[in-house]
Amino acid sequence: MRIDESQRNWAVAAILIFVVALVVYLPYAAHSAHGPSGASPLGLAFGIVGFSFMIFAGLLGARKKVPVWRVGRAQAWMRGHLWLGLLSLPLIFFHGGFRFGGPLTAALMVLLIIVVASGLFGAALQHFVPNTMTSEVPLETIFEQIEHVRGQLLDEADDFVAGVTAPNGPLAVAAAARAAAVATEELPIVSEESVAPLNLFYEREMRPFLRHERGKGESLLDRAKSRVMFTALRTLLPLEVHDTVKDLEEICEEERQLRRQSKLHHVLHDWLLIHVPLSLALLLLGAVHAVMALRY
Amino acid sequence: MPRSQRTTKSVAKRIDLNYFKRPHPLRRLRFILSIAALALAVVWLAGFGLARNSFVYTAGKVSPAHAVVSRKCFACHIERAGKFRETAIDRGCLSCHDGPIHHANQIFTPKCGSCHVEHRGQIRLAAAATESCTQCHADLETAGTPTTFYRHITGFGAGHPEFAVLRSGEPDPGTIKLNHFVHLKAGLKGPHGEPVQLDCEDCHRANQANQQWAYAIGPDAPPGETPKLPAAVTASLSPYRIKPPTMVGARAYMGPILYARQCAACHPLQFDKRFTESVPHDTPEIVHAYLVKKFSDYIAAHPAELREPISTVALPAKPVPVSPRVYSPPEQWVNAKVADAEALLWGKTCKQCHTMLAAQAAPAAQPSLPALPKVAESKITARWFPHAMFDHNQHRLVTCESCHVRARTSQNTADVLVPSVHVCAECHHTGSAGAESRCFECHIYHDWRNEKEVTSRFPLADIVGGAKRPGDEENSSGGAK
Repeated sequence: MRIDESQRNWAVAAILIFVVALVVYLPYAAHSAHGPSGASPLGLAFGIVGFSFMIFAGLLGARKKVPVWRVGRAQAWMRGHLWLGLLSLPLIFFHGGFRFGGPLTAALMVLLIIVVASGLFGAALQHFVPNTMTSEVPLETIFEQIEHVRGQLLDEADDFVAGVTAPNGPLAVAAAARAAAVATEELPIVSEESVAPLNLFYEREMRPFLRHERGKGESLLDRAKSRVMFTALRTLLPLEVHDTVKDLEEICEEERQLRRQSKLHHVLHDWLLIHVPLSLALLLLGAVHAVMALRY
Repeated sequence: MPRSQRTTKSVAKRIDLNYFKRPHPLRRLRFILSIAALALAVVWLAGFGLARNSFVYTAGKVSPAHAVVSRKCFACHIERAGKFRETAIDRGCLSCHDGPIHHANQIFTPKCGSCHVEHRGQIRLAAAATESCTQCHADLETAGTPTTFYRHITGFGAGHPEFAVLRSGEPDPGTIKLNHFVHLKAGLKGPHGEPVQLDCEDCHRANQANQQWAYAIGPDAPPGETPKLPAAVTASLSPYRIKPPTMVGARAYMGPILYARQCAACHPLQFDKRFTESVPHDTPEIVHAYLVKKFSDYIAAHPAELREPISTVALPAKPVPVSPRVYSPPEQWVNAKVADAEALLWGKTCKQCHTMLAAQAAPAAQPSLPALPKVAESKITARWFPHAMFDHNQHRLVTCESCHVRARTSQNTADVLVPSVHVCAECHHTGSAGAESRCFECHIYHDWRNEKEVTSRFPLADIVGGAKRPGDEENSSGGAK
């Protein structure tokens, strides 16, 4: 979700709540006999409001599980998650008077800081990375399909290379065995000797690159190097197979983009591996703290 | 078909439409981590629960005074069956500490925890907030007779009155005649006639100061030895005379002025040219007995002096004929000499410092005694603030005259040289550069004169050992006794 004009209302509301909380907290902290405390009426109020915001932020996950429920738009929930979740941090600090307290409260404070910090990091990523994705990965596909598409790219490349080599060659045989995907008769058949450089390049560089073989074909990861390699390859091949070389170059480009998409996807979502589990632990321990603090 | 000629349809065909049926690795990992985080949290809490250790729920570190029971929550949070709230109650505190009330006529007794707030880390629990005191003293109301104390104090810097001893304008009740101005003048004659410059600490030192006194003399005050003090002075210096939170330091108050320690070297009590020693610095009866013995012994050793030449005006050019006076019996000589010595002592030497009361008739039990004067009680005030503590030792940083500003110029015994409250406020004020200015710095809430013994309830093993709860058996029947 981008931090743009659509967030204005939530941002203004969050800032207002923060300012009100600050205006209440400062005189309270300055004039309370023993300093601010979570056990004082005002401290307790800060704690209740802060924890309520945390619960609301946590409910976003539940809201996503039931997208058809008429409980507000998912975008509104997301904005609430972002701003109220962020507000929970100062409110909980006001609750505890900026002290970490005992083991449970200290753990809660640390968890809250990590959760909010990871959330802010995630929000920043969600703001900037999609633009990068759009510009750098025009051939973006569904993330879950990436491995599947890669397999298809490999098959496609195998078929292209088999198509320009001898009909009895190993690639051509492999291609014939597959179900009629490629009409080899449409491709020009050139001598095996003249396409030997293509075979060599494909077997040594491109195929390992497409198969993700460690330490092989890594030159093709770099777009500039790749371009140079394909230009050189064209000079070694007859004109009839240049279209095939172009197709192979496009496959390499698509593979590079898929790899980039995969990386950006991890950048966009890996922080959730910290944010979500720790949020759940925070809510659980927060509930325990609320009960035990009232009890003791 | 060349790759560049592919259509959207052909590209769409590459999509595996059943992909959503397979678990997404990232989502699966997130789910596993979420379960693990929750499990870890539960196991963490369960670990404490199984060990019956509630320490994990503590609101913060306890004060150093309670550090030994920091993991024994039950020591203060006395459980009560059927009660949900288990905040630390006064009963928990009072089972180990007595907390005598402040005043018999107070109208409100705060809970222990409202002044001594625990779980705030490394703090002094006795260091109560000013608000703890001003909740009453800002507008003091008392039960029964109206209070004579100041009724509207909201802090040391806000409404604290001038010290009572200065406010009243009463003179120093002491009867010893001392002129500070004269004693601090330059060029005073010292014990051997040499010029000396006295300083404050030549006479005023903290109680039990273990140093040589510059002007001490005589066997009754050897260096470092605390002389025997009158019972009234000892009582006034007792740390328990007021209500201390802790023992007042042994060097908190100035030691009493003693003739032998501070005065004797310069002010010898000589009584006759025949003797170099002084009379004892004691009551007139003892001095009289001393003189009688001294002269009796002397005349026994020097019987020739019973014939004493009587000279009138001695003119060098024209000697006057001498007709000796003969004392018989020798007691006559002794009585005459004792009378001369006492006239010197009572009329000049003692009177220089003491207030001498008129001679009274000899007591009936000892008719042989002559009429002796009385020495007025010295009434030196050892402690000027009966409702507050002050520790000179803690204030060594500053010179005496910084606070006792009139000491060098005072010429009258009646001058009260106690510093004003404004002098204290120069250092003791709020703000980062101020010394402690909360009430507890000088005043005590609990009246420890009424302290009662408390019965210990924890065996040592329960405090330093395992987490056995000594109150377990009692909890079901209503809590610790």
